Amino acid sequence: MSASKVLVACWLGLVALSVCTVLLGNAGATQALATGVLLAAFGKAWLITDGFMELRHAPRAWRLLLLGWPLVMAIGMLLTLL
Amino acid sequence: MSTSAETLARAPRRLPGDLAMWFFILAELTVFAILILAFAVTQMFNPQLFDQSRAALDSSTGLALTLGLLTSGLFAALSVEQVRQARQGRAALLLLAALASSCVYVALKLDEYRHLAGLGLGMEHNTFFTLYWILTGFHFLHVLLGMLILAWLAERCRRGAYRPDDHGGLESGVLYWHMVDLVWVLLFPLVYVLR
Repeated sequence: MSASKVLVACWLGLVALSVCTVLLGNAGATQALATGVLLAAFGKAWLITDGFMELRHAPRAWRLLLLGWPLVMAIGMLLTLL
Repeated sequence: MSTSAETLARAPRRLPGDLAMWFFILAELTVFAILILAFAVTQMFNPQLFDQSRAALDSSTGLALTLGLLTSGLFAALSVEQVRQARQGRAALLLLAALASSCVYVALKLDEYRHLAGLGLGMEHNTFFTLYWILTGFHFLHVLLGMLILAWLAERCRRGAYRPDDHGGLESGVLYWHMVDLVWVLLFPLVYVLR
């Protein structure tokens, strides 16, 4: 797959996950739904860092560092909702 | 004879853009992390106040804001690919498209700010709105700076300033824009969606 097609595929994934985020949020206020919303947010962050920012080809330390940020944010938010 | 998989495995890993930009991005993410976690922790102690206040926000608007930024990010990323194929003119047009898409975000956000201010839901209304204005306002300023950078990159592309083997400045500017997207995808559920 060409680099441009990979980027468009990432964008389609980002759009789908954004719509899922709103649908899950409107469905209610349970712990499971909140976890789903945060998983979608982490998925979007992964598509941005590995796809748009091209970190999938970068040294592993930088890739993990940039993926660690949304992971810590999502876990932090989830803990405050428990 | 080596396979394409072996060739890929041997390909040196490369960090796009300038190393200084990555340290700048890390510094920005640290500041946003403090603000995001401050919002989340304050919400933990005032869940009812935050739920009631969040009702004044429209998650559909939040979704439209998100799509505006993400589409802009796609155009910006595609512009880098075009420069790598020595198509600077197309890259300039894609950067202008990224700028136009970000204008959708700015227009919607300003409309939301105007609506909330009209309802008297300013920074001093309650804790939720204090944090809402600080967090989204700080991000909004980053969007405006990013738009200036996109405009500058578009002009540089139009002048033919980048080459397929020399476009680190373009990569760095576009990385800043992706950082603005990255922050928003965490900020959006926290402010508009999570209850």
